[in-house]
Amino acid sequence: MAKLDKKALKKESIIQTALQLFSLNGFHKTTIPDIANSLNMSVGNLYNYFKSKDILAKEIIKYTSTVLGDEIKTINMQDISSKDKIKAIVTIYFRMAKERPEMIEYFLRVYLSHREVFSDGCEGMTCVSGFITEIMIFFDDGVSKGELRDQDFFSAFGLFMGYLGGMVFLKGEEILPNDIDYYIDDISFNIYNALKA
Amino acid sequence: MKIEKLIEKIEGEAKLYLDFEQDRVSDATIEFELFRGIEHILKNKPFLDSLVITPRVCGICNHAHLIASVRAIEDGLRSSGVDIELSSKANLIREFTLSCELIQNHIKWLYLTIFPKVNEILGLSSVDNYALRASYVSATITKAMALFAGQWPHSSYVVTGGVSCDPTYVEVLQAQTYIDEVIRFVEEILLGISIDKYLSFGSISSLNELGGDMGELFDAIGSSYLAHSGKGHDRFIVFGDCLCFKTGKSVPTQVRKIDPKYVEEFTQTDSNSKAVTYKQRQYEVGPLARGMISKDPLIKSLHKRYKDSIFSRIYARIHEVLILLSYTKRILKELDLSEPSCSINKLDTKHISFDGIGVVEAARGSLIHKSRVEDGKIKEYEIIVPTQWNLSNGLDGEKGIAVKSMIGCSSSKEAELVFRSFDVCSACAIH
Amino acid sequence: MKKPSIIWIQGVSCNGNAHSFFNHPELFEILSNFELLYHPLLETNYTLEDIAKCELECDILIVEGAYKDTLVKYGMDIAQTIQHYATKASKIIATGTCASYGGMFALYDEALSGFCYKKELPNENYSRYKDKFIMLPGCPIHPKWLSFVLLMIKDKKPIVLDEMHRPQELYGFTVHTGCSRNEYFEWKIDMEGFGKKEGCLFYEHGCQAPYTRGSCNKILWHDVSSKTIAGTPCFGCTEPTFPKTNLFETKTNMGIPANMPLGVPKRAYLTLTGIAKSFKIKRLEKRVIDYEDREIDRKD
Repeated sequence: MAKLDKKALKKESIIQTALQLFSLNGFHKTTIPDIANSLNMSVGNLYNYFKSKDILAKEIIKYTSTVLGDEIKTINMQDISSKDKIKAIVTIYFRMAKERPEMIEYFLRVYLSHREVFSDGCEGMTCVSGFITEIMIFFDDGVSKGELRDQDFFSAFGLFMGYLGGMVFLKGEEILPNDIDYYIDDISFNIYNALKA
Repeated sequence: MKIEKLIEKIEGEAKLYLDFEQDRVSDATIEFELFRGIEHILKNKPFLDSLVITPRVCGICNHAHLIASVRAIEDGLRSSGVDIELSSKANLIREFTLSCELIQNHIKWLYLTIFPKVNEILGLSSVDNYALRASYVSATITKAMALFAGQWPHSSYVVTGGVSCDPTYVEVLQAQTYIDEVIRFVEEILLGISIDKYLSFGSISSLNELGGDMGELFDAIGSSYLAHSGKGHDRFIVFGDCLCFKTGKSVPTQVRKIDPKYVEEFTQTDSNSKAVTYKQRQYEVGPLARGMISKDPLIKSLHKRYKDSIFSRIYARIHEVLILLSYTKRILKELDLSEPSCSINKLDTKHISFDGIGVVEAARGSLIHKSRVEDGKIKEYEIIVPTQWNLSNGLDGEKGIAVKSMIGCSSSKEAELVFRSFDVCSACAIH
Repeated sequence: MKKPSIIWIQGVSCNGNAHSFFNHPELFEILSNFELLYHPLLETNYTLEDIAKCELECDILIVEGAYKDTLVKYGMDIAQTIQHYATKASKIIATGTCASYGGMFALYDEALSGFCYKKELPNENYSRYKDKFIMLPGCPIHPKWLSFVLLMIKDKKPIVLDEMHRPQELYGFTVHTGCSRNEYFEWKIDMEGFGKKEGCLFYEHGCQAPYTRGSCNKILWHDVSSKTIAGTPCFGCTEPTFPKTNLFETKTNMGIPANMPLGVPKRAYLTLTGIAKSFKIKRLEKRVIDYEDREIDRKD
């Protein structure tokens, strides 16, 4: 038991270090030796945890997806209205963007922009299912309760996630004049109005 | 003298009230009780749901209801501009399964009802396994049907624009085997001769070559007073353009064209079932009608001697089994599996309005479904069943078909046999 | 040993269960174990009027059709007749969805219900008869479901029943079990339009098989087929909700099926489906056999 936990913790610290380095220096410029060095690990030892940089890249997206997915799952399980859930999701997404910017950045700048890295082993939604499933649960709940309008999934998903991703991108480019929290209310309101029944 | 008789095992029950004068039936009233409200249930339902709901009118002729229902939809869609063209394969499969339903219906009626009743009236000894014969044929032919329809009763495999099944030659060959098995049985037990020989008969003079159960039955009826019993109005009508039947009316032997728009229904005070007329007159529907209007030489020859007595009526129903068996064999040979099963890929079921009428020949006669749909929902649905044609009590001084046929009978048992010769469906009557 | 006696009596019915059972391939072998006092199709020594006199001994009561306490037919108090024999019988079998929950005709006459249940709620009759009550929903039943129960009764074997008195050996499965389209369900491949043996009917065509109790694809209809094999969606006819509305369309919430396979949590389903949808399985995207391809005829 203890051995498993140690291994899992080690994996997580490798992932977090990788995320930081990708964020700082870019995905292509960061190498496995760079990551190993940062952790005072031997390269050979790192390969014990992740057999290649591509495999590490895929594991990272699954990891970030699970982290975000778990947060949304907590929101989904609350007995509150869809309108309140929207605000809670926007809030948590923006908090992630502030407290762990390397994670959202990874998604936008690595996952979305380097499809060739992810095409084999991360087909379609396979590696982001932790996150996508929770968004689906949110929509399904909202529609079945009559709070959200029944429409095509991708139209709704694109609106919600495209909007949030776009705002985080702007923040990353330092274009937003205000702190990202400033926008939570308006954005939640806009999303709710677009999706409500 | 008045006699009240409960007639049972007619897909439910009915009450027969007979007036006797000088030992003969002078008048009769047929009463169907209960009412199940299918036409009400259909109101406000999405129109495709009728494919599931209308078969539940009846446990024995549900397939005919299914086909009438889809035809009403297709007719309605066509008249509102949707192009629907069934592939020949889809059409033939529908014809095949419908034929199977008619065959099992007639065989059950013959062995479960007619044989025991005729033997009882004429004091003849009964074989003790009539029901077994019926069950064997019914189970076998239903297998052939299920290879395409999935199940019976209550399949909904007929859909707008075709059928839902996609058979391979595995299914077709299996169906052929079951049909051949039924034919073998029919030749050995029912006819005593080969079906091809039977279908070559041109007149009733050949009937003395008949063996088997059929030969026995017609010897018995033909040489008794029953041969000329049960004559009605001697006029016939067929609305359903399907199987090997022709549409039209025959009075008695003169055949004319018809138009379903002249069909009218009337509430009866003494029965839950509605009466129905064509241009204000009543007509007999069913196998005898179908034989008369398609000018089947054997039926014509029969009618020449026996008119519309129970001899002709009973004979015509069994005769239809043999015609349909031969037809099903031809269908399976002709089936071209390279054609599509269903020619409609996407159907707008929400923003469509239409008026449609679907007609089919069910086992007991013409079955009509009329559907009015607005924005995808059924606003009104009307079902007219064959039992309404044959078994209402009469209108405007004219006795109903079966009522007229029972007048003159010398006993209530004879009247009951005449009644049953129409193959009554109480379930359909009280939809 | 005296054979157990059966009375088959109908409430408000279309007769479909009687006809379905009549097609049992070993019908007379099954019936030879019993004394059939009354049946809606087969010749019996007693008429319906005889039965309504309530004078006969009855071991097994088969009830077909919907029920109400005020049910009278042609002067015969059918409701009272059914109650009389229900009290006397050692087993009561509600045969068909109408006798089980109310079914189709209860949509018109709200007074109608199943014999012991009104939809999924037990009624007064349930408290009276629950110790001898067996329910066989289905519109109609499969003949072998009834023969199974009858033979178990004849052999005095206890039948394992679920919480609604349905034999677990028949209704413990879903109609989805054994469907010829299972692979298409697994890989989320819809059927386009109608009329193909390839493709699943669950995602768009309204098929309720994954959450409908029954064994239609395990004990085939007529030993040869089933609705879903023939390309027709399952309409959930063994469930108290039969008939629902919009039977040929799958109810979705933003594309997500509103009803999950029996016992499968939504999260689990969505995760699995999301992954399945991400892959294209070439073999399953193709037709199994294409008769338009003349090459098949031309053998080398």
